[in-house]
Amino acid sequence: MKQAYRVLAFLVAAGVMFQAAAIAYGMFGLIKWVERGGTLDQSTELTPELGGYTGFSFHAAGGIFVVPAIALLFLISSFFAKIPGGIKWALIVFGVAVLQVALGLFAHAIAGLGWLHGLNALILFGTAVTAGMRVKRAVASKVAPEEPVAEPAVL
Amino acid sequence: MAVAITGKRLRVLLPILASVAILAPLAWLWQASLLPKSYSAMDMGYLDFGGGDAGQESAAGHHHGGASAGSVADIQADPARKADVRVDLVAAQERLTIGGKSIAGYTLNGTSPGPTITAHQGQLIEVHLRNASVPAGITLHWHGYDVPAAMDGVAGITQDEAPVGAEFTYRFVAEQIGTYWYHSHQVANEQVIGGLFGALVVLPKAGRPNDTDVLATAHTYAGRKTINGVAGDLKVPARAGQRVRVRVINTDNGAIEAWASAPYKVLSIDGYDVNQPTEVTDRSVTLTGGGRADLEVAMPDDGTAVRVQVSKGTAVILGNGDVAAPPQPTTDLNLLAYGSPADFGFEPAAANRHFDYSVGRRPGFVKGWPGLWWSINGHLYPKVPMYVVREGDIAIMRIENHSGDVHPMHLHGHHAVVLARNGIPATGSPWWVDSLNVLDNETFDIAFVANNPGIWMDHCHNLEHAKDGMVAHLMYEGVTTPFRIGGAAENQPE
Repeated sequence: MKQAYRVLAFLVAAGVMFQAAAIAYGMFGLIKWVERGGTLDQSTELTPELGGYTGFSFHAAGGIFVVPAIALLFLISSFFAKIPGGIKWALIVFGVAVLQVALGLFAHAIAGLGWLHGLNALILFGTAVTAGMRVKRAVASKVAPEEPVAEPAVL
Repeated sequence: MAVAITGKRLRVLLPILASVAILAPLAWLWQASLLPKSYSAMDMGYLDFGGGDAGQESAAGHHHGGASAGSVADIQADPARKADVRVDLVAAQERLTIGGKSIAGYTLNGTSPGPTITAHQGQLIEVHLRNASVPAGITLHWHGYDVPAAMDGVAGITQDEAPVGAEFTYRFVAEQIGTYWYHSHQVANEQVIGGLFGALVVLPKAGRPNDTDVLATAHTYAGRKTINGVAGDLKVPARAGQRVRVRVINTDNGAIEAWASAPYKVLSIDGYDVNQPTEVTDRSVTLTGGGRADLEVAMPDDGTAVRVQVSKGTAVILGNGDVAAPPQPTTDLNLLAYGSPADFGFEPAAANRHFDYSVGRRPGFVKGWPGLWWSINGHLYPKVPMYVVREGDIAIMRIENHSGDVHPMHLHGHHAVVLARNGIPATGSPWWVDSLNVLDNETFDIAFVANNPGIWMDHCHNLEHAKDGMVAHLMYEGVTTPFRIGGAAENQPE
């Protein structure tokens, strides 16, 4: 379960990387499409003809379903992983992920929240990576003093 | 010992309990949002009597099934009367060429838009629809035309969709003059965007009021702005001194603005004439999704051309040559104060039903999908209000929007008159609408007479929003529908 915890933490981070890449591609694709004569207004539909379509649809699906689902699984894995401080970090990551989704959704109403959505992405990435990286250390520090782990003999 | 076991058990139990505590509410919300394979619009949500009489029939809130005396299917034009205008329409799925690009779409009689249906006031229109190859099936809804309920063309409410090979005949009397349009109301979002629509023009008995009468049906196909299905500008000959009527129809999901390089008058909105329209300069007129406006331009005596911009991307160019595209006005025409007051033909103060239609947005599940969804009076689809009226009632509806987005609100089968916007009362010509642009943080008070029995959609005509659950209904006491959404007929109105 500790391994699952670690993998899920890094998957959250990987999800953030993918989300950033997808939306960047989407924006550039859209600009190119407009430059080539496409008209962007309220009646423009998210269809494959739209420039940057893949980026936008992946970002939407990733942001509403995939990343929140991974973050939720990560939180649940923390209950079973028995890593010192593991639940705390999972809660932090999950909370930041929920905030990230909320910012992304409500930025459609208040565009200014877009600034925070971008910044919070880096916080989510950072906390997820930290949660994953600290697993070995946290487990070792707890286990070490009482029952030293048998190390293979170094010749 | 016992304590130790309890502690150990707890260590095993706690993570499981915590997981259940998180997953169970989510699963419950998800499960509760699932829709049955088929359901009746009549069983949706909750009844809202608007403070009026609840009655006995509707208080039960259940239909009796079958084509009872009060079935929508029976509310139609005199079947014995002969048609004056007969139109055959064949719907097909095929590729369209728009601005030199080939795109997937749909046609009626081989074209998109389909043929314009023109009638004179008082004539009975009969449209025979055949579905040659539209896989999801098709219906035709007469947008803005207050047809008898059976002819409203909403799959799963007033009829079953016509699958490939099937036919359906629409019959109604053209009692009201003006500019309207028709479109599919089966899988409407995809089918209307793909081209299953056309114009409906009803002329006064005496004929066309303007000798030059231009139709400008605006539609966006795969990101290409078009007028009458052609990308780019539409050139129409006109002589100096002529008064030209341009009938603009917005078939898109989003609002568009129209304005001209010369002063213009707004002769009608949503098919209803404006009383004593005055000349407009430096203002654009907003056409919400599904909305129409008839504009009149007097051709200058010096023979210069006039441009009527239909959004920034396209224009109708009247006369010889061309003129520079007029800059888009920064303000739109305030229809609340345009034209001169006149009698509504009814007394809104006598209203006996007062409804709220408050649009918001909140997180939750709709049809099993998590997201931030449109809410109506705080509820998500399908737990939305069913507005109930009795024939002859006068209803006032307050439409509020605090959803962060604009919504073209469309009530089927009725025209409503705008009483006030953001509390500011209307002072101009009666402003009749079937499609109303409601901006974020705007409130409209509209009034209508319940004079067309049936079960009528009252929804957002941004069809993407409708698909996502921004759909309520107006129901007449005693009227039922034998049709079901979903089910064997695969009715999917949005």
